[in-house]
Amino acid sequence: MAGDPAPPSKLAAQLEAIIAAKIASDKLVLPSMPAVAAKCLALLRNPAFSFKEASHLVEMDPAMTVQLLRLGNSAAFVARDPAKTVLQVVTRVGVDRLRGFLVESSARKVFQSTDPRIAQANAAVWDHSIAVAVLARDVMAFSTGGDPEYGYMGGLLHDIGKPVVASMLLDAERAVLAARAHAQWITSDEWIGVIRGSHRKVGLALSEKWDLPDPVKRCLKDCEEYDNTDRLSAANVVRFANALAKKCGFQLGPVDQEDNDALVMIGRSLLNLDDELVNRLAANLARAVKEQLT
Amino acid sequence: MPKILTVDDSRAVRMIVSRHASQMGFEVDEAEDGAQGLLKLEDEAFDLVVLDVTMPVLDGPGMLAKMREGGNQTPVLMLTSESKRSIVAGLMKLGISDYILKPFKPEELTAKMLKVLKLDQPPVASAAPASDSPIARDTAPVASHSAESSRPEAGKQFADIFVVDDMENVHKRLRTLLPPHLTIAAAQNGANALAACRERVFRVVLVDSDMPEVNSVALMRQMRLVQPHASFVLLALRSAGDVQAEARSQGFDGAMFKPFNEEGIEDFLMRFFDNQELVTLTENTMKMAAFKGKENRLQNYFTQVGTLAGKNLDDLAAACFAEAVMDISLLPPVNERVVRLVMDLAEHAKRVGVELRLVAGTELGRILSTYEETASLGLFPTVPEAQASVA
Repeated sequence: MAGDPAPPSKLAAQLEAIIAAKIASDKLVLPSMPAVAAKCLALLRNPAFSFKEASHLVEMDPAMTVQLLRLGNSAAFVARDPAKTVLQVVTRVGVDRLRGFLVESSARKVFQSTDPRIAQANAAVWDHSIAVAVLARDVMAFSTGGDPEYGYMGGLLHDIGKPVVASMLLDAERAVLAARAHAQWITSDEWIGVIRGSHRKVGLALSEKWDLPDPVKRCLKDCEEYDNTDRLSAANVVRFANALAKKCGFQLGPVDQEDNDALVMIGRSLLNLDDELVNRLAANLARAVKEQLT
Repeated sequence: MPKILTVDDSRAVRMIVSRHASQMGFEVDEAEDGAQGLLKLEDEAFDLVVLDVTMPVLDGPGMLAKMREGGNQTPVLMLTSESKRSIVAGLMKLGISDYILKPFKPEELTAKMLKVLKLDQPPVASAAPASDSPIARDTAPVASHSAESSRPEAGKQFADIFVVDDMENVHKRLRTLLPPHLTIAAAQNGANALAACRERVFRVVLVDSDMPEVNSVALMRQMRLVQPHASFVLLALRSAGDVQAEARSQGFDGAMFKPFNEEGIEDFLMRFFDNQELVTLTENTMKMAAFKGKENRLQNYFTQVGTLAGKNLDDLAAACFAEAVMDISLLPPVNERVVRLVMDLAEHAKRVGVELRLVAGTELGRILSTYEETASLGLFPTVPEAQASVA
């Protein structure tokens, strides 16, 4: 594949093996979901939950409260009057969107870093993830009749292992250099190689820890090949959206164009999408991402 | 008549493709593996090869490679159960035109064969497969010009209005209030609305602001993707705020209030259906129609005329007309409104670089000449005189 990093050094291979071993033994330290989001998501799983209870939980996190009020009063929701309370917003946006908001808000924290290099790299991954998410949501709505929110969440989180691995590598680098100031560390290409080799497994482990819905977990598992046995699944939609987002320029590093075009072509047929719709989704993507990011 | 060769080791698949292509008016031949396919291609020319991947003797990629090596550039549509991207990427390198994954829907085969053959519709137009629509269709008697009219160029059924509202009564109520020649379709949830938007063409889409489990703004944006030429109107309850402005800020083209009343329906019709004759444009000459209606609709009339005339000025500027004649002689002589309209249009014309020649009757001419802002505008008693000044 074009742009593949050089073969990993011994140290890089060791790092990848350590991560794999920690996942296998359930000893990998993964970011926790913020307590309020975790409690609220748990509450939403109970069919007898009340909006009042959910809004009380959200109100325990001031930053989340502000974000949710902003969402409920954004142009994305039709309303006669501005929502002044969390309860009003929660009833306005509905359960599915609230669930999506909680996951998105938690994921956003994972992508934050105090290290400028990591922060910059994570920002690019976040933009790509938003592009995949908005495409997946629209494709779900048109092609599958499934819950578009699963497409959105799957798209948003499909690369969430990347910032987690990047953060682990940064911690490891700091520890090594603190012990031996002139120690050799892995190169940038090797760094990218370790992330590529590990991020799916780490993302999947995180999805287990966060107890994400099964259709979303499947989106994180594999983005390489379509699953013919479940054509209209959210995972296939995210695979297609990932390829189309890359084709539209929302990519991370070099992309094998022919390989990616093949994924788009297969996905169009697999998901029963006509060219006209795909072209419009592509043409609309930059604007949709900009809206989502603001 | 286009000739198609279907190459597949499955007799059932060959039969399906053959039957479908024949119904579309194509001539079809069959081969059961790549080697047979190559022999057929040596014997005669085809316009399209529909090719499987996995076959005995010589598989699809093998046949395609030999075709291209031999200089045969017949378009190839892959029809396969193979979805491994490395294999499809390899086929793309060999120059396939498109790809269909088995099992497939006849509609997809039709669309892709037509696309590869660069045809708008099959030679036998009736062959277009019918699909079950998830939407409620209006069964009221309709006038001939728009009655569920077929638009062969788009291959989709047309309806004037599409109502997306979870309350069935909304659609029914609208039917009783709107003129019978306007066709209405309806859907009561987001999924059916999106499915309908993929199948049909609408002129105006009305979207309820408050449907269970549906974000109306997100739904409108998704529908716009497949209905780029439609206008989208938010159906909202009356409230103290500026609902029209709010709706426009969210990307709608306007709002309409529920419950419907005569005034709202009249506004809606004037805006989206009856306003074509309010301002007519011939070459670079615009003519405003006379006002018909109740006195309290006058403001709306002037707003519509102003909007339409403004659009016409933009069109004239885009078509490189440096001058325009505007016949306002039939405008009702309501001093302030006429003066305001003329001032706005004169300013608009100046902005887009078009010089205005106004044609006003005696009374309107008198009104305009008494106001400082409009007195200096070029006024002419008749259209020919104004046109002569342009020449």
